[in-house]
Amino acid sequence: MQRLRATFAGDLGTALFSTLGLLAVGWVVILAIQSPRSLIATMVIGITDGAIYALIALGYTMVYGIIELINFAHGDVFTLGGFIALPLFAAFGIGPGAHYSLVFIPILLLVFVLVMLINGLVNITIERVAYRPLRGAPRLAPLITAIGMAFILEGTMYLWRGPVNLRFPDLISEARYTNSLIDIGVKDVMVVVVAIFLVVMLSLFINRTKLGKAMRATAQDRDAAQLMGIDINRTISATFFIGAALAGAGGLVYALYFNSIRFDLGFSAGLVAFTAAVLGGIGNIEGAALGGLLIGIIRALVDRYISASWSDVIIFAILIIVLVFRPTGLLGMRVPEK
Amino acid sequence: MALLELHGVDAFYGRVQALHGVTLEVDKGEIVALIGSNGAGKTTTLRTISGLMHPAKGQVIFDGQDITFTDAAKIVQLGICQSPEGRRLFARMSVLDNLLMGAYSRSDRANIARDLKHVYELFPRVEERRSQIAGTLSGGEQQMLAMGRALMARPKVVMLDEPSLGLAPILVETIFAVIKEINDEGTPVLLVEQNASKALSVAHRAYVLETGVVAKEGTGRELLESEDVQKAYLGM
Repeated sequence: MQRLRATFAGDLGTALFSTLGLLAVGWVVILAIQSPRSLIATMVIGITDGAIYALIALGYTMVYGIIELINFAHGDVFTLGGFIALPLFAAFGIGPGAHYSLVFIPILLLVFVLVMLINGLVNITIERVAYRPLRGAPRLAPLITAIGMAFILEGTMYLWRGPVNLRFPDLISEARYTNSLIDIGVKDVMVVVVAIFLVVMLSLFINRTKLGKAMRATAQDRDAAQLMGIDINRTISATFFIGAALAGAGGLVYALYFNSIRFDLGFSAGLVAFTAAVLGGIGNIEGAALGGLLIGIIRALVDRYISASWSDVIIFAILIIVLVFRPTGLLGMRVPEK
Repeated sequence: MALLELHGVDAFYGRVQALHGVTLEVDKGEIVALIGSNGAGKTTTLRTISGLMHPAKGQVIFDGQDITFTDAAKIVQLGICQSPEGRRLFARMSVLDNLLMGAYSRSDRANIARDLKHVYELFPRVEERRSQIAGTLSGGEQQMLAMGRALMARPKVVMLDEPSLGLAPILVETIFAVIKEINDEGTPVLLVEQNASKALSVAHRAYVLETGVVAKEGTGRELLESEDVQKAYLGM
């Protein structure tokens, strides 16, 4: 009976997804015919936003993959990346009023590395004190703890810098390339290049290195991984580190793009990125990247052509539709079993 | 002193006691079989040895060292490796990656390469499938891979949990032939099996577990010829 229902939901889900997908593609084609320039501009926004969502969604999906925890604090870890960057910039003599100059580029790269490192270490600590003691507990316990951790992080950032939009140094060129069809800025390119670079590095790490493979092994079967001599505490720590490093880079990219950051930014960005992870198939790394990109594009299209006040409604409607009709997401884990 | 010894081990799942004072040993060069019906505590015994569970009472001694409360990962490094019940392969990783995970606790590249070659010699089918995703293998191939993966740790004792479960008779023959071969090469084997007649015929010694208690022990032949064992486990 359950099997029958699963099959039914699967078929219905596929049909529903194909229909919605086709409708969306048709709509985009119409938009392209009406005004290609406007559509391309919207797509640029969608892809840059999507790249940032993808960087956050990767951390959600990796942590879920390895300990089946939806880490609701992850959105705030993203914000933390931007917050950590500010004093680092100051230490290098770059104040919030600084403007783009080539000499800042090496410092910027260094700050990127430091932010990822520090953010990773913070997240390892969070796992250690908040989640690890609850590893044997019912699943609801770490979930509630994660929500509590989200409030702790937000509260800390609030107390640290106050409830205002913090100004961020303007370190990326405002230059744009424009012709009759395309209008794209250096900033847009920066976001996408950083995201692609990090996703490629992640995929090399996960697929080629011993620790990366051990992380996948732990995610697939924790007991069996232990029987291979894999120290699962180490692989879980590594997962939290990498998730936070990516989210931290995302937070820094976000702040550089918009030249501002706020303590509660991660709350909504985190929920949207979570939706992206679910859409792609929670636990699936390629899925998170794809889901992030899709959600970014959908959001930009809705903002531009329907109304910005509808974008959250539509995005969370997608979350519900995916959870009901296709819980494994677009690239969900279909494990062949014998 | 034997290579691996359990002394009076009690183990619990929550409040349910699964093992009652289990005492057994595996010495160098031996194949030791652990037989018994479902729920007799065979797998629990292996989990206790490999450190996935820790006993409430008693001791596990390996190579003269007390490993009763040692972490699972550390125990693998010490030289005990297991092919778990139900194979527990990394289903979404390639066959080769599964084998390399078996060698996770080692860093001697040259020897790992040699052992990989050796596993391929023992199981030519595994070599043919080396770049395939493990989850797509047939049941028999998966079992061979699980055993190969355990051997990649170059263990001082290898524990095999139900290696013949669900396999066609011809494959059962293959698996048991390999078990003998592994043992002839000098690796002691602790074998958990439902197929008692097969297990007893290859084992040097064997223990019969009944509801968490060692009910009988002896050489493989003695148990094969014992009337109680014949009645209860050999269907005679």
